Amino acid sequence: MISARLVSAVTFLYLACAVLYFVFLAFRSDRLGKLATGAAWVTLIVQTAAILLRWVESYQMGIGHAPLSNMYESLVFFSWCIALLYLLWERKLKSRVIGAFALPFAFAFNAYASLAPGISARIDPLIPALQSNWLHAHVITCFLSYAAFALSCAVSIIYLVKLREERKGEKGEDVTGLFPALDSLDELIYRTIAVGFPLLTIGIVTGAAWANYAWGAYWSWDPKETWSLITWFVYAIFLHARVTRDWRGRRTAILSIVGFVAVIFTYFGVNYLLSGLHSYA
Amino acid sequence: MSTEKEKGFLPSLWAALSSLRLTIPLLIVLAVASIFGTLIPQNGTPEEYLRIYKVSTYKILRILGFLDMYHAGWFIFLLALLSLNLIVCSLKRWPSVRRFFSQPEIKPDEGQWKATAPGRRFSLSLSPKDSLARIQGGLLHAFARPRVLQDQGAWYLFAEKGKLSRLGFYSIHLSILIILLGAMIGSFFGFRGYVNIVEGETADRIFLRSGQQVQPLGFKVKLEQFSVSFYPTGAPREFKSTVTILEGERKILTEPILVNHPLTYKGISLYQSSYGVASVEKVVLEVVERASRRGFTLSAQPGVRVEIPGSPNSLVLNRFIPDLQGMGPALQGTLLEGERPVENLVILQSHPEFVPQRPGRFEFRIRELQPKYYSGLQVNRDPGVWVVWAGCFLMMAGFYMTFFMSHRRIWVRMMEKKGETQVEIAGSSHRNRADFERELDRVGRSLSEPSLRGEKENTKGDPA
Repeated sequence: MISARLVSAVTFLYLACAVLYFVFLAFRSDRLGKLATGAAWVTLIVQTAAILLRWVESYQMGIGHAPLSNMYESLVFFSWCIALLYLLWERKLKSRVIGAFALPFAFAFNAYASLAPGISARIDPLIPALQSNWLHAHVITCFLSYAAFALSCAVSIIYLVKLREERKGEKGEDVTGLFPALDSLDELIYRTIAVGFPLLTIGIVTGAAWANYAWGAYWSWDPKETWSLITWFVYAIFLHARVTRDWRGRRTAILSIVGFVAVIFTYFGVNYLLSGLHSYA
Repeated sequence: MSTEKEKGFLPSLWAALSSLRLTIPLLIVLAVASIFGTLIPQNGTPEEYLRIYKVSTYKILRILGFLDMYHAGWFIFLLALLSLNLIVCSLKRWPSVRRFFSQPEIKPDEGQWKATAPGRRFSLSLSPKDSLARIQGGLLHAFARPRVLQDQGAWYLFAEKGKLSRLGFYSIHLSILIILLGAMIGSFFGFRGYVNIVEGETADRIFLRSGQQVQPLGFKVKLEQFSVSFYPTGAPREFKSTVTILEGERKILTEPILVNHPLTYKGISLYQSSYGVASVEKVVLEVVERASRRGFTLSAQPGVRVEIPGSPNSLVLNRFIPDLQGMGPALQGTLLEGERPVENLVILQSHPEFVPQRPGRFEFRIRELQPKYYSGLQVNRDPGVWVVWAGCFLMMAGFYMTFFMSHRRIWVRMMEKKGETQVEIAGSSHRNRADFERELDRVGRSLSEPSLRGEKENTKGDPA
């Protein structure tokens, strides 16, 4: 399949982009920054083409469906969402410094899809439970929210690194001097979560609507449902702590990382460690 | 004596419930409890639990309600406490929010004017009275329709946008209560059950999931036919039950039920959930004795031993397999010689080409095989589901109001100074202040322009 080969190529392209963003951080050259941005957009376009091609290929096989139906497809789509959201944010904020931390996420999930031995790139027909239009709404909103949370996790890591350096008193001496001020990073963590949280809510609601059609209950405390709710609780705690109890900085950055750990567990842990109705991605 | 004691029990309970200090620990406890709920299998049988846990652990988990945790008293209590906390917090906050609606601040605090940026203070060579119409029109054009107040020789104009976002908080929190209410309606007035119907048979009652009680449906469901199809890979493609709904003897409708395509009749929904083979009444096999090429047919019934004529052998069909690893229906059987099993057989219905490859005294092919399926239907009634969807919709609206709208207010003060009118602009936004500053600059520029857009050409020459 050509699409699978394209996805493998995208892995290396994202790796190259991540390296470029790091080099940009080290040398602080505007030209390097533009190169990194350009490379990231090109990679995103190639990845988009790979996803669309896989869609076409599934129709050529006579089992046409959107490429959102198994672990492999969801990983590639997750990686795509992260890159897309990051690039949109980069345009909006006119700052490239988060790229060095965001692109590795896009790289990691795409690499996991194309390199992990347990994950098959084969296009499988849709089993009856997945034959629903809710599939698209549910998967797209969930992964967009996961991507926003991935970015907020990336910014939180930057925040904690910078905070440590500043406490050591080496302000401005190394790359952390290039990062935005702690306050802006803190604001950015909040704003990424303010996007991710409503999307996660829509993801859960569309999932519930779908479950109501497929399984006859909008909520059955299936492990995946429960973990999505746990994730929702963590980010609800984040928002309440920040907005009403005025938590800022280190504590909210740690909460945002905890939230992303919950996202990852919802995504992978439930599939690999727990059993339930959501055995597919 | 401490003031806490003077306040008494009820007021301090109110204080505790209305505190956000309670919300965060509650959410943490709910999250941690839910983690346990996903690690401990829920609603299993005692045998299943005893396979994983020691007897003592099992007993403790059962007493603590961890085996049906999400319906345990303490979990429901936590949800109730969260709801109460939410209600009390909302009530406490209401007066300060209501003020934005009932008495908008047309004249802001003095402090607002002190921070006025240079671009937002200018003079017009008109009297305040003449300037008023112009500023009013300008605000309407550039922002929103203003209200006017005259106070101590000064004119105040006030315009606002996105006031609704102040209610986002209420929408989200109210929506959670509505969703929980919908869930309660469902659990009190609805039911969840299942029924297995064999092809050609009719059911008028179902078994409830809770406590094995029987629930009459009020109508009858007849399974006309069940069918299952597979992809070439062996993965299932479609499970389909064609059912007829009957009222008494009258046929109301006949419709298919598929996964993701339930059938709802009189508020009761039927979902495709499982299937199986109820019976295989009769099988006709074509048998060929390899040595003699002698061929004949053999009628068999699963579980019943049949002699193979002209030989010391007999055959028992043990099991019917609806789909053997993607190769379609199969029969599994044993060939006996006297009382001694000599061969285990698998006979595929749709792949007779495999028969010659298999060694053995006889070749078996299936000529006729009619399994009778049963279909497992999930049967629910949930009158609360629309309440839940309404709650979800309100929650989305609340998120939009909270995260994507902001309450922006602009004040303009006009005072006479040396025959001219001094105009000052101030504003406030409770979110996205940086964006609002830009908006305020734009409004300021628009109001201080020599000629406002939208005014007629002939006013341009005026000595304004």
